[in-house]
Amino acid sequence: MKARKVKGLEPRGTLADNAERIVRVRLDELQSFIPKALDPDEVTALHDMRIAAKRLRYVLEVTAESCFGPYAATALKRTKELQDLLGEIHDCDVQLPRVMERMEELRAADARTARERAPRDADDLDPKYATRTASARAWRGLETMAIYIKARRELLFERFLELWTRLERDGFRARLVFAASERPEPVTPASQDGNGARARAAVQSRAASR
Amino acid sequence: MAKARDIEGLQADMPFEKAAAATVAVRAEELFEQSENVLDTTDIERVHDMRVASRRLRAVLEIYAPCFPGDQFKPLLREVKDLADALGERRDPDVLLDRLATLEAALPKANAPGIEAFAAPVREEQQRGNETLAAALERAERTNLKGRLALLAASAVEPSDEEVPEAAEAAVAALASDDGESERPTGDGAARA
Repeated sequence: MKARKVKGLEPRGTLADNAERIVRVRLDELQSFIPKALDPDEVTALHDMRIAAKRLRYVLEVTAESCFGPYAATALKRTKELQDLLGEIHDCDVQLPRVMERMEELRAADARTARERAPRDADDLDPKYATRTASARAWRGLETMAIYIKARRELLFERFLELWTRLERDGFRARLVFAASERPEPVTPASQDGNGARARAAVQSRAASR
Repeated sequence: MAKARDIEGLQADMPFEKAAAATVAVRAEELFEQSENVLDTTDIERVHDMRVASRRLRAVLEIYAPCFPGDQFKPLLREVKDLADALGERRDPDVLLDRLATLEAALPKANAPGIEAFAAPVREEQQRGNETLAAALERAERTNLKGRLALLAASAVEPSDEEVPEAAEAAVAALASDDGESERPTGDGAARA
């Protein structure tokens, strides 16, 4: 999924102002997959939402602490949680077809074996030729894997719905937009003419003379 | 997973371009720090750490894109993506094999032949991924990707700027101290895109 372009970034502008623009766009991007991604069959929307969460996470990773208000750090954690969960769902979506494909490959190979076992002039295939094939012992494990991945995907999707509901209930979006508009107290740089050192020396000198 | 190094001196009110120079320099260094022993398939955490570092670098390159001269930035971003993809080709089968081992350990023994039947082609994929990664690392070394990234980081700050971030200065110094076998970029500070 191609990232949305962030308009108005200014290299000479401040880090926080530019980062705020990026966060807003990435947050909109994430939100744009709702309600589509709330449908468990929308595999592509779920995958794209994961990418959007990843993009938001990375910009927060760089800027949350130094640029924004306190909620940004919490939002970073929530975004990572969301990305991880969507990542696990995506893994299931990738793995289940692979297991099925592997079963199909082995099934086809075993069927070839069974066919080759039959005499050339056989009118029909004796069922005994379909037993004790090379993959006969593999079916149980493969079926278990397929069942496991399918059930795990369902469970993880329920967790995703719960997490998204919680984020909405907690005002994740609005709070992050607000936090991105807040600026931390600027760090006061040491004065170049050494005022601090002079002031300390003066205090020490007064103390010594007492 | 290796924790991302803090970017020293990063502040809300600093210019975006200076943050770009400092951040990209550090994230690029981190990437190459993680490159040791990544081709060892018995220690899958090595490639994981390098992949995470490549993702972090790619992310900051994309975040700070407007700060870099386009003619240098675009090909370098492409190269970083290619390296990240190569790391992914090794990492994906690593993860799957690790999960299969965990699954096998948790299930009754009768399931083992099926899990093994699934794992066999994944192992071949891991091997192919390792070859792809080896070629990508060799290419990165040969074309001095590390040095060119250091130069790119430094290019975010115009030469006329009074203060060049320390990390960018260090990155340029590191490039200068590299051995002379690599192809060197011209690094003439092309105009900002």
